[in-house]
Amino acid sequence: MNGPSHSFWSGKSRWVIYGALITIVVLNMLPIALTLIVSFKTHEDIIRIPPQLFPCDTPTQAFDLSACRWSLEGYDRVLMLQPSQESFWGYDMTGKIVATYGGNTVLYAVVSSLFVVLFAATSGYAFSRYRFRGHNALLTGIIAITGVPLLTNLLALYQMGIGIRTLGLPYDDRVFIILVYVGFFLPLSVWIAKGFFDAIPRDLEEAAMIDGCSPLGALFRVTAPLAAPGMIAIFMLTFVNVWNEFLAGYLLVTKNANKPVMFGLYEFLGQNLVNLQVVAAACAIIAMPVVILFLFFRRHFFTAMVEGSVKG
Amino acid sequence: MNKRILLISLTIAVLTVLAACAPAPTATPVPAPTSAPAPTSAPAPTSAPQATAAPKPTEAPKPTAVPPTATAVPKPKDIVFWTQFDEKNMDPKSDSAVGNAYLRDTMPQFNKQFTGKWNWANVQKDFSKMNAELVAAVQAKGEVPDLFQISLDINTFVNNGTAQDLTAWAQAQAWYKDLDPSAVSACTATNGKLYCIPLSIRPQVVLVWKDHFPNGYPKTPADFLTQAAALKAKGVPALTYYGSTFGDGNGITRGMTTMMFSFGGKYDDGKGKMLLNTPENIAAIQFMREIVAKGYVTESSFAGNFQEEEAFKTGAVGSFATGMNAYLFLNTLKAPSGTRYAKGNLNDYLDALAAGDTYLAPFPAPAGKTPGCNLAASGIIVPTGSKNLDGAKEFINWIMTPQQNPQFVLGAVGGFPALKTSLSNSSFQTPYFKQAGQVMAASNCRPWFGTLTKPSVAQPIIMTTLYKLIKEDPTADIAAALTKAQEEYNKDIK
Amino acid sequence: MSPNIHSLKKQSWFDKSLPVWLLLPTMLALLVVQVYPTLYTIWLSTQEHDAAGWKFVGLDNFERLITLNQFGESVGLTIVFLVFHVALTMLGGFITAFLLSRKIRFSGLFITLLFIPWVLSHVIVGFMFRLMVAPDYGVFTGYLMDPARFPPNGLSILTAVPPKPWIPGFPFPPAPAMWLLILASTWRALPFVTLLILAAIQMVPAEVVESSRIDGANNWQVIRHIVVPLILPTMVVAIFNVILNGMNGVAIIFTSTGGGPGTATQILSYLLYSIGWSRIQFGRAAALALIIALVNWALILATLRFTKIEEGHDQV
Repeated sequence: MNGPSHSFWSGKSRWVIYGALITIVVLNMLPIALTLIVSFKTHEDIIRIPPQLFPCDTPTQAFDLSACRWSLEGYDRVLMLQPSQESFWGYDMTGKIVATYGGNTVLYAVVSSLFVVLFAATSGYAFSRYRFRGHNALLTGIIAITGVPLLTNLLALYQMGIGIRTLGLPYDDRVFIILVYVGFFLPLSVWIAKGFFDAIPRDLEEAAMIDGCSPLGALFRVTAPLAAPGMIAIFMLTFVNVWNEFLAGYLLVTKNANKPVMFGLYEFLGQNLVNLQVVAAACAIIAMPVVILFLFFRRHFFTAMVEGSVKG
Repeated sequence: MNKRILLISLTIAVLTVLAACAPAPTATPVPAPTSAPAPTSAPAPTSAPQATAAPKPTEAPKPTAVPPTATAVPKPKDIVFWTQFDEKNMDPKSDSAVGNAYLRDTMPQFNKQFTGKWNWANVQKDFSKMNAELVAAVQAKGEVPDLFQISLDINTFVNNGTAQDLTAWAQAQAWYKDLDPSAVSACTATNGKLYCIPLSIRPQVVLVWKDHFPNGYPKTPADFLTQAAALKAKGVPALTYYGSTFGDGNGITRGMTTMMFSFGGKYDDGKGKMLLNTPENIAAIQFMREIVAKGYVTESSFAGNFQEEEAFKTGAVGSFATGMNAYLFLNTLKAPSGTRYAKGNLNDYLDALAAGDTYLAPFPAPAGKTPGCNLAASGIIVPTGSKNLDGAKEFINWIMTPQQNPQFVLGAVGGFPALKTSLSNSSFQTPYFKQAGQVMAASNCRPWFGTLTKPSVAQPIIMTTLYKLIKEDPTADIAAALTKAQEEYNKDIK
Repeated sequence: MSPNIHSLKKQSWFDKSLPVWLLLPTMLALLVVQVYPTLYTIWLSTQEHDAAGWKFVGLDNFERLITLNQFGESVGLTIVFLVFHVALTMLGGFITAFLLSRKIRFSGLFITLLFIPWVLSHVIVGFMFRLMVAPDYGVFTGYLMDPARFPPNGLSILTAVPPKPWIPGFPFPPAPAMWLLILASTWRALPFVTLLILAAIQMVPAEVVESSRIDGANNWQVIRHIVVPLILPTMVVAIFNVILNGMNGVAIIFTSTGGGPGTATQILSYLLYSIGWSRIQFGRAAALALIIALVNWALILATLRFTKIEEGHDQV
């Protein structure tokens, strides 16, 4: 975020700004910090009444850093490591949240995001470069589509999913859920992509076409690389959206082996109603990949968000 | 692995498209564009049109490759059984660990006995949406299991056309005569036909910590108020129960109904319409208002997520009005005296009861009334559209044997076995089951929904109304609110 | 089938119709996943399923939905939720963005930390907030349940009943659990709004601000008369996004309040889920879904309209 510096604030207020920002950041991080603390508690400390913030009290002292009872019990029960001869690490992960559902979600997120990028790029390019009949109507239509709540479509998609299975086609939950994710996250991505292509001068493509590229070739050879940061942004945005999506996965995936991770987490929550440390650990493990991804690609996320909503 | 192939092929697809710039554009013929973006129903991986004559490496390995049904190898045929349990979940501290372990032990027995013929294929379903999932699957004529575990009212399934009529078949079976009549009635719909095979019956009971009620559980509401006041003075609430609207009014199948019925209350008029505005119901609600207002009920009773169990597990409350299968979930107990029962399995409560630290009792009833009790049945339905009817029936015959029925009841669903001979099994001769039997005999146990044909619709309406009258707005006009609720339901019944 | 003839010309038939091919995959995906389901929902809203099968019932589903005792309450709750969610998010986003708009050290670090909630799933966010106030075991429960602080019995966020409504029939002031839900949703939406406003502020030309300062305007006047009017379109876009997301999200409710206590946090989207998947009345759920969709469309139209006016008569 390197915009021009503004002087809405007169010079002396610098420390006020720091103070305010630090307060906001601390408050903002509080729920995350508390969840992490809980995830490292033992079950005995979880069910203490009244609850203690830190598991560090002793009979004589309210807080004693050396007496803290931190534990990996929660993480252990999420991962369920079992000694195994075959595994390279010497352990097998038998907890399904990571071993099965995590893998499913990675698959859904990667594949859906690739398709979304591809489709959004081609149609965003078309909207940016061509004026055809119904151009504006289509663009508006795509935005109008986002007004249909996901929950509305799920009623129908739910019935559709069941219906398709009866046709006797080689059907797979996974194809269906990926298709649904692509459809859900495309409209916004098309607008983002159009914005990126609008910012790329047309002369470059024309030059490429004179040099012998077909229009499509020019698109992928010349324009696409320039639009790459935008495409990465769309990929990241979709990836995180699919990773975090709950309801569609919960309702549309019927085979246990194909469940996405948020479904697994929700079910896990239902099976561990008072084992708060276990659920907190599961949350931490599941959130970790997207948080890391965000830390590495944050600039792309910011661009995608601003593009998508300001243009939309 | 399938996934890896899919990923690689996708990458290739994208790379192919990216390379789509012809070196000699005028000469290269463009391939028929109609072939590429074929409007397939799947998210056709190659649908981006290709500009050059590139090979299409991505057509074959679509992720649809695994057909669900096995080919004609002499393999045993699956009997698909939807349950709330997961035999592959090894977590010993999972809330449903007991049921999971039961399946893990029992499925191999069945599969061994029917080697080459049947295979018990358990499909675990999320408890909170398995009913809707089945109804939707049947309505859309989708993938329906052969067997389905129900703990709900049978009427919902009959009303939606989801369950098969098993009357004629069941009556022809040897075990039918051995069924407990109340179990049969719990599986019989309002049209008089049998739609599920009962495996167990689960009456409501009150679990009592002896230290808090040393002289026996109160017999009348007045007695309850006196004893509860004494407990309250010691800082102990007398009662905890599922009093929240959590789970779309699921509490109606539990302690709430125990109390309503103990006052002689009911929810229907005997002819399929909802009837709430009765003097008995009003008396029950007034009693519940009083015990809540005076602090005799735990606050966690209204928290949902089964939080109400916690106070009982730690001995912090006097009694717990719930179903008699609660022992499956009440693991790791601490009696008020400090004695711990911490095996972490179904034996914890049974041990505490055998040791005399806790006992079972019926809920207090006013003079002239019998203690109330909701009778839930656990059973199996054969859904409409089941593909393996023979297997389903053979499975039922197997599970209804005197060897298997007690095991399923004890380990998976809880309650009393539906077969009278199973009851003589040594597992049911323990103090726990003897006491539960006495409670059931002393109570008037019947399914809460009576003649209501749409229990899944009635449930949230009744529970929300009762909750609001008792907890949220304890000064509201009871009769008016009850009338409004029954009218809302009855409008739907033609 | 034989496009070779066309390749004789400079532009092939394929190249000329390129926009169609470029748009086709997107359009197909949207048709299958968005358009068809919407049409299906319209059909479904006129149907009811009984033991025999689907049956046409006209507008019965709508009529019975609206006469549900819970419907009116749910509408009220949705309004309360949205008003406070939007107000808090916009205010918080506005303040944070202004603080960040000043070039300071570590602003990158601040932004990064502030943004982490935005990549967390609603399921996780709901659980995190429930964790803080869960009955018996929540981190703050011990503090809140102290009768000395909150007489007479302490404050149990998830079970405390709503105060008596000021206007009969309209659920305001809301229950503590509703505040928890509003807080959780706001926490999740705040980064997004902050970023939008920040981007808009940074596009305000520095000269305009300078010249007004020379004219003697103070901080407040600059913000009020120069900056706010310029970023107003962005604010409207942000509001529209926040409303849409708030209106349609149920995952946070699932894992935080579960719609309770009683019906105190059952906003329309949760009611829709409950009618569909708990009461198993798909036709009626479809009717509710359409009502929600209509409100959404109205909002979108209003926003498009508004941004058009604000930007003069530019193209969207």
